[in-house]
Amino acid sequence: MSKDYFCEVVSKTMLNEDTAYIEFLCPEIAAEAVPGQFVNVTCFNFLRRPFGVASVDRDAGTFKVGIKIIGEGTEELASMEEGDGTWILGPLGNGFDIESSDKYILVGGGTGVFPINYLYEELSSQGKAVKVVQGFRDASQIILNKPEYVLTTDAGDAGIKGNCCDGLNSLSPSDVEGTTVLCVGPMPMMRAVSSWASSKSLDCYVSLEQRMACGIGICLVCVCKIKAEEQGQEFEHKRCCKDGPVFDSKEVIW
Amino acid sequence: MSERLFVKVGKTFLKSPLILASGTCNMGRELSEIYDLSILGGLSSKGLTIKPRAGNEGVRVAECKAGMLNSVGLQNPGVEHFIKYDLDYMNTLDTGVIVNVAGHSTEDYVEMVKILDPHKDKIDALEINLSCPNVKEGCMSIGSDASQIRKIVGLLRELTDLPLWIKLTPNVTSISQMALAAQEGGADAVVLINTMLGMAVDIKTRRPVLRNNTGGYSGPGIKPVAVRMVSECYQVLDIPIIGCGGISEASDVLEFMIAGASAVEIGTASLVIPDCPVFITDELEAWCEENDTDLASLTGTLRLW
Repeated sequence: MSKDYFCEVVSKTMLNEDTAYIEFLCPEIAAEAVPGQFVNVTCFNFLRRPFGVASVDRDAGTFKVGIKIIGEGTEELASMEEGDGTWILGPLGNGFDIESSDKYILVGGGTGVFPINYLYEELSSQGKAVKVVQGFRDASQIILNKPEYVLTTDAGDAGIKGNCCDGLNSLSPSDVEGTTVLCVGPMPMMRAVSSWASSKSLDCYVSLEQRMACGIGICLVCVCKIKAEEQGQEFEHKRCCKDGPVFDSKEVIW
Repeated sequence: MSERLFVKVGKTFLKSPLILASGTCNMGRELSEIYDLSILGGLSSKGLTIKPRAGNEGVRVAECKAGMLNSVGLQNPGVEHFIKYDLDYMNTLDTGVIVNVAGHSTEDYVEMVKILDPHKDKIDALEINLSCPNVKEGCMSIGSDASQIRKIVGLLRELTDLPLWIKLTPNVTSISQMALAAQEGGADAVVLINTMLGMAVDIKTRRPVLRNNTGGYSGPGIKPVAVRMVSECYQVLDIPIIGCGGISEASDVLEFMIAGASAVEIGTASLVIPDCPVFITDELEAWCEENDTDLASLTGTLRLW
């Protein structure tokens, strides 16, 4: 059940010059949020700003989000400091299915590395086999990377030169076989990863993003094209916030 | 609920002046997970058409100062689907059930009312949407022509005894002429106002932010325009007015009612603070206690200079 909570900042770090990593105190959201869900955060601008949950500490009753400064709203939120607070609605949307498989490959890019981080925390704590591939533009953009991850950069100044699919191709066949792929990142990246997974006959789930307003499914502005269930229709406009944000990549019309 | 919040819109009784505006509450399911909708006077369904509509493509929202633009384009499951899957659900919410009716032509509206009238025991009022700015035909193009409003309302009047609330567009030269035309056609009430037609430009790409180029501006920024239109129409109408436009706190409700509204609709505020009607209700009750008055007696008490 999602509710509006006033949440206090308990810690904040800048991951690079335009990305803040903020930990909020909210035992209710911390207890409920599953990987892939998001929260909608109040700022001085008119609409709230949605962020995927990046990490949860249930004992401490806190959760983290990553805030990349894009405009006024994110700039203000990224400037929050310990002791500041704001209203946060959450947890929202449908998370990833992390029960049906024992073996996962996680693929993250851009701000998608935040939900991927929470997925990795959960899956590794459950003792499941997890490989992670993360892609960045260049070495200066690398955030939330871990030594055990496969790292790629477009510029080639760190890790494998290339994109996430080049990273995926570097995995051994035994790592790939029988896995489920979970991917969060920019649309072109998710599209490419989806087609890579399809070529290996792997299940693949992606987290779609669209300009959002309410975050709870009442305004219908954040729709994406999903293959129609009913015959005679080519597609349906589904709400990223409420019907997603996680969708089976086979259902997505890219 | 305090009886002091009871209002009437023509023959329709509402236990509170607060109605959720069409298109900002879907059919009620999502918000009912957040608060108890029975505190409301009513809930207006997502705008419905005869056939399902996928709505507009691409970016549908642009934030702006004091509000937002939307170009959803009446995405809805179609009226038959609504009757089958949503109407009974809305009747479980213990609040007024308002059905928002949209169309692309006069024939569409006639057909819609014919389809809905047999379900009149489950409907408190039909809100006739002559004002959506995001579709190419019907709606706003009908609602900006007084003779068409008069004609269409007259046709619908002959088809149903259900209260007909006509939701009008502010994108006209004279709102009172449009409201009078609705009254002459036999409307039970007018709803003022739908969104204002607007545009936002991406300065990097030099393209409109919205894929539909234009969209409807809603939120606190349009409130003064809406209050003015309510006041202007109150002076010439005999039928009640439901005020709508930028309401996000109790004082906004009072302002609209003093200007002439019998009830109000809360729209975009629900997208930002979904449970705002809970706070607004509490504040309205407290205001009535403090001033030892009921809300209904407030309507039209504005003393113009």
